[in-house]
Amino acid sequence: MAEIGDIANEFIRDEIDEFLEKENERNHIVELFAQTRPLLQDIAAALIDGAHEEVDQLTQQALSEGIEALEIMDDGLIAGMGIVGIKFRDNFIFVPEVLACARAMKAGMAHIEPILSDSGVEPIGTVVMGTVKGDLHDIGKNLCIMMLRGAGFVVHDLGVDTSEDEFIEAIEEHGAKLLGMSALLTTTMPNMGKTIEAFIDEDLRDDIKIMVGGAPVTPEFAEDMGADGYGKDALSCVELAKELLSE
Amino acid sequence: MALTCDIGTRIELVPMDSHCNDITVALYKQPPSDAPVYRIHTYSQHPDAQERIGSLSADMQVLGGMQQADDGLLRFPCGHAHQYAARRLFLDACKRDPSETAQAHPLQIHDKKSACDIAVDSLGDGQYCVRAEQGTQGVERRTATIARGLIRLGEMEGTDDDANRLHFACGHAHDALIALLLRRAPNVRAAMREAEEMASRGQLVAPSAQN
Amino acid sequence: MSEHPPSMNSRERVLAALNRQPVDRTPLCNPTSVATVELMDLVDAPFPDANRKPELMARLAATGYTELGFDTIMPVFSIIQESAALGCKIQWEQKDNWPTVRMNEPIWTSPDDINVPADLCTHPDTRCVTDAIKILRKEYGDEVAVIGKTMGPWSLGYHCFGVEPFLLMSLDDPGKTKLCLDRMKEITVEYGLAQIEAGADALTLPDHATGDLVSGEYYERYLRDLHIEMAERLPVPIILHICGRTVDRMEYIAQTGMAAFHFDSKNTPMESMEIVKERIALVGNINNPETLFSKGPEVVREEVYRNLDAGVQLVGPECAIPLQTSIENLKEIPRAVRDWHAGYDR
Repeated sequence: MAEIGDIANEFIRDEIDEFLEKENERNHIVELFAQTRPLLQDIAAALIDGAHEEVDQLTQQALSEGIEALEIMDDGLIAGMGIVGIKFRDNFIFVPEVLACARAMKAGMAHIEPILSDSGVEPIGTVVMGTVKGDLHDIGKNLCIMMLRGAGFVVHDLGVDTSEDEFIEAIEEHGAKLLGMSALLTTTMPNMGKTIEAFIDEDLRDDIKIMVGGAPVTPEFAEDMGADGYGKDALSCVELAKELLSE
Repeated sequence: MALTCDIGTRIELVPMDSHCNDITVALYKQPPSDAPVYRIHTYSQHPDAQERIGSLSADMQVLGGMQQADDGLLRFPCGHAHQYAARRLFLDACKRDPSETAQAHPLQIHDKKSACDIAVDSLGDGQYCVRAEQGTQGVERRTATIARGLIRLGEMEGTDDDANRLHFACGHAHDALIALLLRRAPNVRAAMREAEEMASRGQLVAPSAQN
Repeated sequence: MSEHPPSMNSRERVLAALNRQPVDRTPLCNPTSVATVELMDLVDAPFPDANRKPELMARLAATGYTELGFDTIMPVFSIIQESAALGCKIQWEQKDNWPTVRMNEPIWTSPDDINVPADLCTHPDTRCVTDAIKILRKEYGDEVAVIGKTMGPWSLGYHCFGVEPFLLMSLDDPGKTKLCLDRMKEITVEYGLAQIEAGADALTLPDHATGDLVSGEYYERYLRDLHIEMAERLPVPIILHICGRTVDRMEYIAQTGMAAFHFDSKNTPMESMEIVKERIALVGNINNPETLFSKGPEVVREEVYRNLDAGVQLVGPECAIPLQTSIENLKEIPRAVRDWHAGYDR
């Protein structure tokens, strides 16, 4: 079993010591980083620190040294976002810091995504994502999309203020099996239920899985509205998406 | 002096009725609790509003078998609430195109998932049985799922010995209502989840896959 | 039982409570909208027109008093009137939805872009509010408290810079962020003064530094001193409104000198009262999506009692209510307050 001393990057070791309070999470993260190349640990550290220029530069360096794009994404970028997600969940950091980390991830993904697209790797699945009608907030949705793309999903982003018809058209056009809806206002949450109703009316409900999320959304609300799953944050959204598509 | 009235408990709302100048229409339930009646109501003073209310009332009678009670109110012939179903009936009445004549649905649907026709037999005294017209593979689970969906949507009861049989506790037939709810029954998520849970019972799973 | 003053009218009651003086009964206060689609039909004042025409705005707002039994009338349903005047792109939406700012099309990117237009208070969408206040004042005299609304600089920052750019700026360049807030604060004050001049008795000041997005430390760093200044410059009681979990910043909020804090149901009445320790009145905090929108009057009543038992000084919904909320649930709030006073010894 790996120990924290096996991790080369000091910043990562400090982050684990200071912020990872659950033993199973801590052990998992230690195990992960102990096996990760030092350069990729440096990428993860820069991402956690929100240093987007450094992530940009280190990602290019890793690619030029012949490290595979998928390994850089998984062990550098996504691993770093894993710690970010835990810190956010446990209220050590808030949305501004998460946005800075997302910006850093985007800087790295700008070099990774073209390589992965060209490689012909089969995507895990196709997802349509949008914020519901009347709601113009998209921070959470954008984080989810970034994580889903990073995990190998094709994501069609409908943006904000998405009507029922727009969700339906996008599902039909892209042949997507998974729909993700976000709402950040209590006043727009009911539109999730309306969209689900619209899928029932069009006799499409059986053809897809629907997941919902957003700060005011709760698992109970998701169940009442008829959704298949509730994602409480961007990290759990990826696991939820995989689970729903495997059903 | 207040203009809003005490007209019971609002159980469903259509905020913008696209078939009547976007007026807001609602379904209210009124006492007594052992023989409730329903009122379709709008606060709108639009000239067409009352005619729309009348037309919705007529549709709910045709589509769901409701009857007119005193003072323009509606009730089920059995006198029971069937509240969940009444909400569904109201929403469907609001959605349909008023230029077409309302007709009760048939007690049959085509189920996409099993590629099979599913019928519901009315056995009398509020008893029903869900049946597949063809014997395709996996269709037993579908009829049971649809039966469970009807139970949820109609607040009905099932039986322990036959997953396809269901009945209204009031002991009265509500064929039109069942036919309306049948259109939605295949999609009731809770019913599907129950079906999946029951299907996985008694199966040995590896420790790593156990919750 | 403590001595209560003799019977007060609605306005007297609200102003006394905002000044933390004795009242004859706990006032019912809506610092944010209680408009519903059914009330829109009742007085033929639907959205979006009720957000843009003063007669409709006043007529719909008055139903909070005449139909629901609140002690206040608050005509500013949305949070976008001054952003419209600043030049933000607005989606005015339909009857069953709120007008919103297109924050992904921001109008400003730097402090130098910030400009208080000469027509800030005479633009049709801001003037709609001041004219509505005048109509209400004329119609109801001194019988009911009329509350205006002026958006705080943090919220204006979201609208005008975009949420993500603004939050990133707050991390990347705190000095620039403070400068932006200081300049935008003048919009808050100017629009607030215009509403006071029109006859507003109090002002709601929403400033969405909510716990769902930023830390309590952010509130202290960026907003507390600005709120102190605005409370001094605006000569009426100010009701600060911040959504979401805010117990970690209530200590700072209590230091602002504002009259009241309109708090969200994510904070319990008891814990909130314990933190503010009577330095600021509390208004709230009946839950919207789960209680007022989804449940029945008995649950509404329980939440009213929870607030009254904790000593919350003004009772009302936690935020702008969903437009589909039932009238029955809203009417339960004043019924419950009256019953509590009739049956409980405080």
